[in-house]
Amino acid sequence: MEFSFSSSASKIVHSTAFTSLESGDALMIGVACLLVYLAIWKKFEPLLLLPMGFGCLLANVPMSMMASTDTGGLLNFFYQGIKHEVLPPIIFMGVGALTDFGPLLANPTTLLLGAAAQIGVYMTLIGAVFLGFNMQEASAIGIIGGADGPTSIFLASKLAPHLLAPIAVAAYSYMSLVPLIQPPIMRLLTTEKERKVKMEQLKPISQTVKIIFPVAVTIVCCLMLPGVTPLLGMFMLGNMFRESGVTARLHETAETHLINIVTIFLALAVGSSMTAESFLRLETLKIIALGLLAFAFATAGGVIFGRIMCKLSGGRVNPLIGSAGVSAVPMAARVSQKVGAEEDSSNFLLMHAMGPNVAGVIGSAVAAGVFLSLFGDASTSMDTHAALAPIIGNPEPGMQAVATVVEAIKQ
Amino acid sequence: MEASVSAAVSVSALAMSVIFMVLIILIFTIKLLVKLIPYEAPPAPPARKVSAASSQPEQDDQVAAITASLAAHMGKRPDEFRIVNIQSR
Repeated sequence: MEFSFSSSASKIVHSTAFTSLESGDALMIGVACLLVYLAIWKKFEPLLLLPMGFGCLLANVPMSMMASTDTGGLLNFFYQGIKHEVLPPIIFMGVGALTDFGPLLANPTTLLLGAAAQIGVYMTLIGAVFLGFNMQEASAIGIIGGADGPTSIFLASKLAPHLLAPIAVAAYSYMSLVPLIQPPIMRLLTTEKERKVKMEQLKPISQTVKIIFPVAVTIVCCLMLPGVTPLLGMFMLGNMFRESGVTARLHETAETHLINIVTIFLALAVGSSMTAESFLRLETLKIIALGLLAFAFATAGGVIFGRIMCKLSGGRVNPLIGSAGVSAVPMAARVSQKVGAEEDSSNFLLMHAMGPNVAGVIGSAVAAGVFLSLFGDASTSMDTHAALAPIIGNPEPGMQAVATVVEAIKQ
Repeated sequence: MEASVSAAVSVSALAMSVIFMVLIILIFTIKLLVKLIPYEAPPAPPARKVSAASSQPEQDDQVAAITASLAAHMGKRPDEFRIVNIQSR
């Protein structure tokens, strides 16, 4: 092989990614840096936005093979976890392991606040259709109002995978902005007297009820809306680990190491889908605007229903806890506590707000299930084995080999 | 899939109804569970026996021996202090 300094230098220069860097890539690298900045210096959901921003950075380095669409690339492998609905349900299992349903069980009517807050989902759906999205895309955008990242990713990957990146970014960005978005709406929609309402102390709940509840929710919800079983089923499994009292190690793993590991994979995979082609579009701006609308309407829906419950209960329900129905556990409950404490520092709403908060998680999962029932195409839902075959290979030869060995041992 | 705003409104109304229906079923399920399985406060922990150790003859001997050693070490009379608790490691 002939070697000359100039030709080799020229070859090295042409092999750098600079030669392939386009304006769109450069802009997306800027977006990635912005996400990293927001995560580190503004503390906007750093556990998610930091890996997501870095995944975006990696995906937009030309020739790096790190985009979600680069078959054989590292992040393409992680992306299969979203594509085949693996990662969001595992996150939900961790969330279930972290969730205490005690406040909800002590005051089950707060489930209605979790349902009312889903109004944000449907107002956004209508808004998205008005802006020209089709019904499946509008459903995936609308679920941003559920303020639940894994649910948004789960639904987007099923109904509108091409919009996954902007939906995930909008969902997580606005979730981190809940303390800024919600308080003005809460103050606007409630009177000072209502904000000062003190609620009765919650009654203790039997441990047996706490154990039976996840099973009951799984049976009721998953039979009615089977499409949501991966999310809700894993959520309730995680909670069973917590409440059963016999799986301390599984509980600890689910609520710490597992959820952390899967969060890294999920956020990197979402970041890897943020390429210039998928993100630098007019739709992204529309989705970001609709996301804000979703959060605002969800908060308003919860607070207004809280006011109705306040009136019906003779002033025993503080309407501020309604805003916690948007999910975003536990930040939305903390906002209810903070706004309530601003009016009366001796008013402790946190535990009362945790009821609608976890009801919001169930409510947004049910909303996703309704969308899947209406718009999920059964014909596109692949057999799990067929879906995983490209990743794990065909397990049949392995099974045959095991059977041969077993047979040989028997002989 | 073609979409119109009126269709979106219909879908929203239907979906909200389904969500409320599912969650109302859950409310009644919870109320039934709580009614059938009421909370029972856990039994109070047994009261701690403070002076149980000193009532045993073997430990009395140990207390006497430790008291004498400490008195000699500190240069005090044995009745000037009292050992109230011995914990084994």
